Amino acid sequence: MNIQTREEGGCRVIAIAGSADVEASAALRESLLGAIEGGSKCVICDLGRTDFICSDALGVLITAYLKARMRGGFVRLADPQQHLKEVLSTTRLDHLFDVFPDVNGAIGGCKGKPR
Amino acid sequence: MPARSPDTDSAYPWTEKVLPSQLEAIREAEVDVMDRLSRQGYDEDHQFAIRLAFEEALVNAMKHGNRMDPARRVTLAYRVSPECVQIHVRDEGTGFDAGCVPDPTTDENLQRPCGRGIMLMRSYMDTVSFACCGKEVQMVKYRRPGVGQGTP
Repeated sequence: MNIQTREEGGCRVIAIAGSADVEASAALRESLLGAIEGGSKCVICDLGRTDFICSDALGVLITAYLKARMRGGFVRLADPQQHLKEVLSTTRLDHLFDVFPDVNGAIGGCKGKPR
Repeated sequence: MPARSPDTDSAYPWTEKVLPSQLEAIREAEVDVMDRLSRQGYDEDHQFAIRLAFEEALVNAMKHGNRMDPARRVTLAYRVSPECVQIHVRDEGTGFDAGCVPDPTTDENLQRPCGRGIMLMRSYMDTVSFACCGKEVQMVKYRRPGVGQGTP
């Protein structure tokens, strides 16, 4: 898994490429929680190049979501491909997260919300 | 590991591995299974499903069964044939009642960061059963939809 972070449209965009498997969960946790603890109120996970996700990584996303919300912020998911969409649907986590078809949509979805 | 179904085709024998309770140990076995799936032409949907269930079963065994105790091992057995993939994972823990695991998809459990492994295994494999008081999980994924599920 490769994680790249950038600022875009006032949001912290975390692009996750490759497999978000159990071995990668620690790095994912560090990136996501690090962004939130560093003060980012709007965090977008760019899943466009994420080809696999396990329950451990889903747990990291949920932990980040809860932590961001406690700080008045958001974690949004962008551009999940078919297999990830199915996982989000199967777990009903698409009811917990705001899921956007692309990063721009996720950034737009954040506008007007607390930063 | 309890007796498995007899090999009717020696071209596709069972492979058995004993793994330490270390998450890093999953990768090598996973690579072998995925390589076999690829060589036998299983499609991407099957590969994703089997990889997910395989990883969830091993992580459950190491984390929840063996509590990451380095003295406890995980016994893994798998068989990849053209018709189906069979995976058995057994830990050295105290077992559990799979029927008592809370449903992670209910509204009240949706924000829980853990507890989705068994649900994912059941969703992505055709059969999932527990033996030895929950210490062993046995899973099958058929290549053709419906085979082994009582549907035409």
